[in-house]
Order: sequence, then structure tokens, then C-alpha cells
Amino acid sequence: MATLTDNDIPLSELLGDGGQPPIFPEPPNGGGGGDPDGHRPPPGNSRSAAVIGIFVMMCASTMTFSALVSAMIVRRGLNRTDWHHIPLPSILWWNTLILLVSSVALDTARRQLRKGNRTTFNRLWTAGAVMGTWFLIGQIIAWYQLEAGGFRLVGNLNSAFFYVLTWAHAAHVIGALGAVLYVEYRALQFKLGPSGRTWVDVSAIFWHFLDLLWLGLMALFVFWA
Amino acid sequence: MSVRIFSTDHRVIARQYFFLSLFAVLFGMLLSLLMRFHLVYPQTPVRVFEAIWPEKASGGVMTPELYLSLLTLHGTIMVFFVLTLAPLNAFGNLVLPEQLGATGMAFPRLNMMSFWTTVISFLLLIASFTCQDGGPLSGWTAYPPLSALGAIAGPGQGRGQTLWFFSIGVFCISATLTSINFIATVIEMRSPDMGLMQMPLPCWNWFVTSILSLLSFPVLLAAGLLILLDRLAGTSFFLPAGGGSPLLWQHLFWFFGHPEVYIAILPGMGIVSHVISVFTRKPVFGYKAMVFATIAIAFLGLLVWGHHMFISGLSPYSAIAFSVLTMVIGAPSAVKTFNWIATLWGARIELTTAMLFCLGFISIFVTGGLSGLFLGQPQIDAYFHDTYFVVAHFHMIMGIAALFGIFAATFYWFPLMFRRKLHEGLGKIHFYLTFVFAYATFVPMHFAGFAGNPRRYADFTTFDFLQPLLPLQKGITHSAFALAAVQILFLGNLIWSLRRGPVIEWTGDTGTWQR
Ligand SMILES: [Cu+2]
Repeated sequence: MATLTDNDIPLSELLGDGGQPPIFPEPPNGGGGGDPDGHRPPPGNSRSAAVIGIFVMMCASTMTFSALVSAMIVRRGLNRTDWHHIPLPSILWWNTLILLVSSVALDTARRQLRKGNRTTFNRLWTAGAVMGTWFLIGQIIAWYQLEAGGFRLVGNLNSAFFYVLTWAHAAHVIGALGAVLYVEYRALQFKLGPSGRTWVDVSAIFWHFLDLLWLGLMALFVFWA
Repeated sequence: MSVRIFSTDHRVIARQYFFLSLFAVLFGMLLSLLMRFHLVYPQTPVRVFEAIWPEKASGGVMTPELYLSLLTLHGTIMVFFVLTLAPLNAFGNLVLPEQLGATGMAFPRLNMMSFWTTVISFLLLIASFTCQDGGPLSGWTAYPPLSALGAIAGPGQGRGQTLWFFSIGVFCISATLTSINFIATVIEMRSPDMGLMQMPLPCWNWFVTSILSLLSFPVLLAAGLLILLDRLAGTSFFLPAGGGSPLLWQHLFWFFGHPEVYIAILPGMGIVSHVISVFTRKPVFGYKAMVFATIAIAFLGLLVWGHHMFISGLSPYSAIAFSVLTMVIGAPSAVKTFNWIATLWGARIELTTAMLFCLGFISIFVTGGLSGLFLGQPQIDAYFHDTYFVVAHFHMIMGIAALFGIFAATFYWFPLMFRRKLHEGLGKIHFYLTFVFAYATFVPMHFAGFAGNPRRYADFTTFDFLQPLLPLQKGITHSAFALAAVQILFLGNLIWSLRRGPVIEWTGDTGTWQR
């Protein structure tokens, strides 16, 4: 490591982090510069940071969906003569039910894990993951049914908005399902340490958010679009 | 390799962002020089042009399409890869953890991912300009219907425009990831005895900027998604022929676009507050007022997007609402300006280069802000809309003012970033010349706007009523070239100081907490 008085530090070293002087010593665990008296948990507690992060992420998703929904509302207000009501495939109701039940399963699993019931956790979490996958398959069936009924992406703006909103929601579900399956994988290997528990909480929170989002979208499609 | 390239160290990532924006700003500046040259010597053949673009500048004379694509690239690069990245991502990453007393950002790996997503976005943008049928030419606002139609809309509207939208979409994702990281860092990583109202002002400004970016970039992402479907899947969200509305794009775009102005300028304001307080050896006058002014500017900034649409067929009633709210932003902006002046009042000012750039920032912020008061009124905007007055306004407030903030940060925090100091004497000469030529370039541009010179015209000399403006525009071009030439001083300073600058130990500036 170069010293501070060295006047000839090579540029390459400045660009990398090779020669950083120990001005800001870093604790080996990468955590925050904690409070020695222990009044408060040390900053950079990765668990609470992750929870804040997922809530902020939910704000971002909410903004994307608000933009799409408000575009739909404004567009509908501009001209209603070419706004054809779409008959919602009845499978959407089953999908809604499955999604809600999966949320209950994941949350119960999370609470069981806190109590230390790992077997119950594994069962319920697996059930939640399976139901999440079911939900996605159900959505695909709904898209096929709609298309068979003549409501395609192109041609009717109402159905175009329906597809965009449900696709965007499905994309979120895929992402969340990735996290759920990651937890599942760790749990089945019995490697669910503290960071794994953070994943459990964060993915469960996000899953509930996707529930709420879906209920909002269903309300929009049923009562309004 | 992975340590240096895919680093999760916030200081390394800060340097990566710094060099990416440095490259972007030099490239963007070069483009502006090409445009300025073409504007005042539209028919003069230039061999180099023909060598670079054999078809689009055959005979050495730029086609209008080429001019517009340079304009689009200039605007996009400057807004996204310079004014967004440098003040927030580069200096935020560098300084925020230090000032918070944290050891790093909340999510180091996410931080690394955002940087590389940004690089992908930048590469997509550059790729869009090398397309066979020409680069995109819709400007950085990419208004439909033309931008939603695809190749049939004309040259440059094909694959180039599609890639442009992909680039912006990817940028939205990286900006969102960055803002998640910044917000979590401020909330979670502060040293335990630092309350929110004890944070140094730059932290407040990066925090509020991140919130703005969190609320606006996802909206642009949604808009980009819809327009890409229009282009690639045949929907018609923004096409009147299929029942859509181009106005929808303008609403969504400007809901992002106006906050973007504050994303560019708010970090600069924080930097200026901090540097001024250091070199006057006084705490910033009215800390609380500064914090609330920042929050007020950001909040109001989310409600005024309609002032970009006064002549788009907006209802006059909503135009008045947007106009009044726009004027109201003047109040918190004035609070900030007066607080800076009050801090300077009676102080023994140490005129370092960083401090000079702060004073320059205040000057240019006021000048650029005042022309905003004119543009914010629907009646006056009806005349000024899409003229050089607008170009002058936003280059002052969003371009030069924000750039001065970046320069102030560069000179002040260079030792923190590279352990060396930039050359002060050279820096001061660079400041004075930049200050003079910035004014000399952009003040006359207002006059071109008064005379009704529309922006985005590749060759205004073909219009009789604009012919008399040629000397004025020539003066602007010469000044712009001088402004660009002066930046060689900075570049030289940077390269020299990186190798030979005096090594100094950064003593840290957390001692400036407000208590
Ligand atoms: Cu605006």
C-alpha cells in the first residue's frame, strides 16, 4: 500500500481501490460503526436496511403502476366511444383467491419460523411457492382466453391497458417468486441463517404488496374499465 | 479484476461514475460544438464531417437529420449521463457515507449493479446513433406521434429510436436502484447520534434528490414501456389513429422531466451550502430553512409538469394552476439564495477555486431562475415556447449552474476522491474564464429567443426574418468555442493533478455537523 507522502502513485492505482489509505478504517464485518454502548442497534444492520429497501422498492413499483393506471384513466376520459368493456375471464377470480391464500401461507410460514417450527415453515413456504406458480399459470390461461375472445393487445385500448398492467404485475410476481424460491432452496438445504431470515421477511412483505396491487387492479378492471 | 472493475466499494463506484460522466460531458460538449458550427456556417463544406458521415454529410455539409440526431445525443447524454450521474451518483456515493459517519452504502452490491446497468444504458445510447438509417432525432423529450410510429416516420425513427428508448428504460431501472440505495443509506446508516436534522446539508439534498428520482424515474419507465409497445407490438397508446393520445406521453414524460431538473440541481445546492460554510468558517445561515426549502422545492417540483405543455392544448384553467405553482417555487429558491448571501455576509471569505465556483453557482442560478419566471406564465410562454429563450434558460439553470456545482464538488472533494489536490491557480483561471464565457454564450441566446428564433432548426438562415440574427448567433458560436477551449485548462489540471498534484490527507469534514 502506498504511503501518503509518496508523490508518485501510479494512476492505475488511483483508479482502482488498491492504494486507499486507511483514513476511514473499515470494520471487518462490513457493518456500521456501531454504538459501543449499545443504545441502538448499529447502523447498517443489514436486516433493517433490507426492510427499508423493500419498502422503498414498493414505492417505486407503486409509481410505475400509478403512471400506467393514470394513463388509462386519462385516456378513457378523452373518448369513451371507442372504449370497449372487456369481459373478465372467470379464472381471474380463482387466481385472486390463490394469490391471497399463498400470501397467508407465506406469512404463516414466516411466523412459524420465528417460533422455531422449521418443518411447518418448510411445508407452508413450499405451499406458498407452489400457489405463486399456480397464479402465474392461471394468468397465462386468462391471457389466452381473452385473446381467444378477440381482445388482443392491438385493436382495443382497454384490453391493451389490461395486458400491460397484468404483464407488469406478472413481472413483479416472477421477481418475488425468484426470492421465494431462493428461500425455499436455502431452507431445503437447512442453510437458513440470519441472512436467510431477512430474505424470508423481505419476500413475504413484497408478496403481500403484490396481493394489494392485484386487488387494486381487479377493482379497476371490474368496477371501472 | 473483480475488485477494481466490479467493485462494491462506494469510493471506487464514485470514481467510476465520475469518469463515466467526465467522458460523457466531453463527448456532449463536442457534439454541441459541431451543432453550433453548423448553425452559423450551414453551407460551408467541412471535410471532417464527410469523413465521419459519408452519407449524412456528403460534400461536407450536414443534413438536417444529422443535425437533429447530434442534438438528440447531446441532450440525452447531458441530462442523463452528466447532470444526473455526476452530482448524485458520483459525489453522493463518495461523500454521503463519509458525512453520515457510515462505512459505506446500505447495499454495496446493488450499488455496483446500478453502475453497470448505467453503463449498459450508455452503450445502448451510443449504439442507437450508429444505426444504418441514422441516429434518433426526436430530441431528449421524444414526443410522439413521430417517435411512436417506427421506421415509416422517417430516417432515424427506426431501430435508432427503439434503441434510444431501451437505453432510457435501462437508465430508469438503474436510477431507481440508486435511489433505493441512497434512501436506505440515509435512513439506516447514519451514525447513531446523528438525527435527521443534524445531517449536513449535502446529505439532505442527496436524500431529497433520491426521493424525487424514486418518484419520477418509474413513471418514465412506464411511459417508455407503453411507447415501446406502440413501436414494436403495434399498440396505439400515443397514436391518435388507433385511439391513443400524444398528450398522454407529454404528461407522463414531464411528470418525470420537471423533477429531473431538480435531480440535477438539488445536489449542487447542497454542495454549495457545504462549501460556502467551510470557506466562510461559519455554519450555514438558517439550516432548518434550507432543509425545508429543499423539501418544498422537491414537493412543488412534482406538481408543475404542466408548464411544459402550455401550448399543447392544455385547458387554460389547469394552465393557470400549473403557472401559479411554478411561480411559488421561486419562494423556496429565494430562501436558499438569501441564506447563502446571509452566510457570506460579513464573513472572511477564503476565495478558493471551489468557493469561486459556489459564488458562480449562485450568480448563474439567479440569472437562470429569473428567466424561468417568464417562461412559467402561459401568456409569455406562448411566444417564447420552443425558441432559443427556452434553450438559454435551461442551459443556464440546469446546465451551467449544475455544472458549477459539480466543479465546486470536484475541487473541494478531489483529495477525498484521489488523495491529491487540484492545482488552485489553474483552477481559478479556469473558473474566471468559464464564468465569463458561460454568460457570453447564454445571455445572447435569450435575445435570439426574443427575436423569435425557433430551437431545433438545423438551418435558420433559410428564413428571411431570422437572417439578421446571423451575427448574434455567430457571436454565440464563437463564445461557445471559447467556453469549450477553456475546459482544456480543467482537463489539463485534472490529468496533471492525478499524477503530480500535492498529496494531502483528507481530514474528513464530519466536524461540520449542525448541532
Ligand atoms: Cu419544468
